Amino acid sequence: MNWNSSPPDDGVSRRSFLAAGVTGATLATSGCIDRVQSVVDQGGDEQFSLSITTVPADADRQNVRIARRLEASLEKVGIDVSLDMRSQSELLEAVLIEHDFDCYIGRHPADYDPDFLYEALHSTYANEAGWQNPFGFTNMAFDTHLEHQRRTDGDERKRHVEAVLTGLARAKPFDPICIPEEHRVAQANRFDGWDEGHLATRHGYLGLEPAAGVDRLHALVTDSRITRNLNPLSATFRNRGTTIDLLYDSLGTEHGGDVQPWLAESWDIAETTAESDSETADEETTRTATITLREGCHFHDGEPVTAADVAFTYKFLNDTSWGRAPVRSPAPRYRGRADVIEAVSVDGDYEVTITASGGREAVKRAFTVPVLPRHVWLELLDQYATGDDFTAPQGRWAVVSGNNIPPVGSGPFEFESRSEDESLVLKRFEDHFTLRDGVDLPEPTVDEVQFSVDPSSNSSITRIEDGGADVTATMLSPHSLPTIPDSSDLERLRSPSRTFYHLGFNVRNAPFSNPHVRRAVTQLIDKEGIVTDVFYGNATPVATPVSDEWVPERLQWSGDDPVTPFAGADGDLNVEAAKVAFERAGFRYDDNGRLLGGY
Amino acid sequence: MLAEVLIQLVVVVGILLPVSIALFVGRERLVRTRSEWRTRLKTAAPTIAVLLVVLLINRFARQRAPRLSREIGFHLTASFYNIEGEFILLFQSIATPETTAYFSSIYVYGYVFLIVFPVLAYFTLPDTRMFRRLLTAYALNYVIGLVLYIFVIAYGPRNVMPADVAATMLFENNPQYQYLTREVNSNTNVFPSLHTSLSATVATFAAITRSTFPKWFPVAVALAASVAISTMFLGIHWGIDVVAGMLLAALCVVLSDRLVGRWAVSELLGERLERFEDRIPWLERSE
Repeated sequence: MNWNSSPPDDGVSRRSFLAAGVTGATLATSGCIDRVQSVVDQGGDEQFSLSITTVPADADRQNVRIARRLEASLEKVGIDVSLDMRSQSELLEAVLIEHDFDCYIGRHPADYDPDFLYEALHSTYANEAGWQNPFGFTNMAFDTHLEHQRRTDGDERKRHVEAVLTGLARAKPFDPICIPEEHRVAQANRFDGWDEGHLATRHGYLGLEPAAGVDRLHALVTDSRITRNLNPLSATFRNRGTTIDLLYDSLGTEHGGDVQPWLAESWDIAETTAESDSETADEETTRTATITLREGCHFHDGEPVTAADVAFTYKFLNDTSWGRAPVRSPAPRYRGRADVIEAVSVDGDYEVTITASGGREAVKRAFTVPVLPRHVWLELLDQYATGDDFTAPQGRWAVVSGNNIPPVGSGPFEFESRSEDESLVLKRFEDHFTLRDGVDLPEPTVDEVQFSVDPSSNSSITRIEDGGADVTATMLSPHSLPTIPDSSDLERLRSPSRTFYHLGFNVRNAPFSNPHVRRAVTQLIDKEGIVTDVFYGNATPVATPVSDEWVPERLQWSGDDPVTPFAGADGDLNVEAAKVAFERAGFRYDDNGRLLGGY
Repeated sequence: MLAEVLIQLVVVVGILLPVSIALFVGRERLVRTRSEWRTRLKTAAPTIAVLLVVLLINRFARQRAPRLSREIGFHLTASFYNIEGEFILLFQSIATPETTAYFSSIYVYGYVFLIVFPVLAYFTLPDTRMFRRLLTAYALNYVIGLVLYIFVIAYGPRNVMPADVAATMLFENNPQYQYLTREVNSNTNVFPSLHTSLSATVATFAAITRSTFPKWFPVAVALAASVAISTMFLGIHWGIDVVAGMLLAALCVVLSDRLVGRWAVSELLGERLERFEDRIPWLERSE
């Protein structure tokens, strides 16, 4: 095992160099040649052209199928489309880090709480790299509601979330398409208790009841990224961060929509209203959380977990350069969660007091970030953050993106070995607090968890059936569900999903800086048809990216998108109606029915 | 899973080879080969060594190349798809369970047989030139193919239009083959189709040697054509990859003619080897 491989290249890539050469300084942000084309074209009488970035079918078949349907519709309305295929990490690199895309079709990890929208849409993050506002969306009204939903609780919060969702459905920085059902299969006689936790979270792997003689869980994944990079902060190598949740503990753990104390023994969240002018009083509401950590916990390298590590984590997520770079370099993951925390004070080895600018829910969500070992990351900083001219390009510098980070956490499983593109093996951390007497929390019940990379959903199912592995950790592709045999040896696992398929726009540049264009494009999407044809019914079409209880009445799905309905009927696009939408957005058509780029 | 697929492959090719040697090569050549194999092997040794080195490099490079490719490669999926669109879906019109089974087995078993058999067949010829040319052409195919794989990042049709090729898609119907293919290739290596180029190389050599192996020629051409079609039928390659594969084959056949024997490497090294062998007594001890 070698964790000392070289850090990723921070320099200017070949492509960005070429792109800059072609288009001059206006496009100096590293762009790809074919996309530069699309931007240049917007000006005059050239055809309106754009590219849709997505992942190949090997990575996610639904994405590319949605993209091709969109491509066909865009071509019908006279737009020149190119389909840009990238691997999962390359797609995230282009969208989250480089902001080098027109629009993309992807699956958003979302979260258990609508507060993830703060991270996804707040203007503060429009220029940051990472999961924070990849769309480059800026809107004052949105910001206000996003901030209020953070600060408030209960019905008041719900009203602000509704306002955000309503605005989102109109302004469309991204358009949620559907929420998939998550299906998996497991061997029937090896483990019990699959229902206790979602397999995309740590709870899916804890508290399992192995049959007699079973001491190893063998799970199949079709995404090989965890075998190549285990950096908890990498935006491009993580999806929902399931493995990170096994390797690292967090103060609280989310289970069934609620956050319960985990590494924290207990917490007390009190409201404190700052002394200030009466008009702004409710704006200044902060919360103070007093947290007591479990005593005697250790990181996998034997160092104790203390309040200093917790304080370090929040401060570090806020500036991964640790004040050594000329500008702050916030983490490309967990940014929105940690941002709610204003100050952390260490009051002894196991006592932390956190001052936060959010309501109870936002504060508890901040407790779900992984607690990083201070001593390990400070050492990394000493290694990489050196020299007078040290800079830490936000979201992409070595410490937040490289595969050279020792995967040392304090979580229920510790890193054992990995083999690139083949497998990742974790072993039970015998010192984990859940294994103590008197701690009534789900614990690691197997000696070892092995994640093996399998080529596809279909082959994974066959492999489980043949007894070659215990469970499919990656959710199965809908097309392979009919191949699951009706066998008493297999257990079908079905769980709801929080992730959603969506079309994301880069609103920084033309043409998608124009909300009318975005709306016209989203009206080309037949969400109902996609669910039927692409997901074979194993998904729910949506107009909002949140789960049921948060969906406002007027945004409920009612056979069509309530705000931007499909411009057609029964799956057939009404081309003339769709074209009118583009003309209303200020575009015109030439005699050959081609949509022209300029006004 | 991989072991199962490999065993199947070895068994099938293991049956096909002796049958076809009996059919296409004939007893007489085998008898002569039995007495001359050492000298032939010696003459061809440098070429064999080159091919082995190339295969070895290839094996390692396929693991490293994707990373290098990501750094310096060009993303061409969109261009290929723009140029030829849904061309390969034409082959879907002949899709039946039978044709699917035929092309799937051609892609896996037929192909391996097609490139292994001529190696044995040409070795039975007294003049090793054709044998050396064949191996040289193989080596060139791999080297040029690998370089193109580094520069061209493209996903095949199955990754772009998965639903349209689902009925015939190899991995859809036989997911176990993925354990084999992922050992030898990554899904961004589609340009050119090495299946096509190696098969076309074999077919071209079969044409050159058709007076020597008259019965092999039509079989080789039919198999090679089937392999080329199978790559598109199964949704693995674009038409462009197949055309590039054919051009690559033509180039490699021509180059093999120019290169083999040119520097008389074999003779030069052959002499030295002999002198070397004189000094090592245990090398003399055989049979």
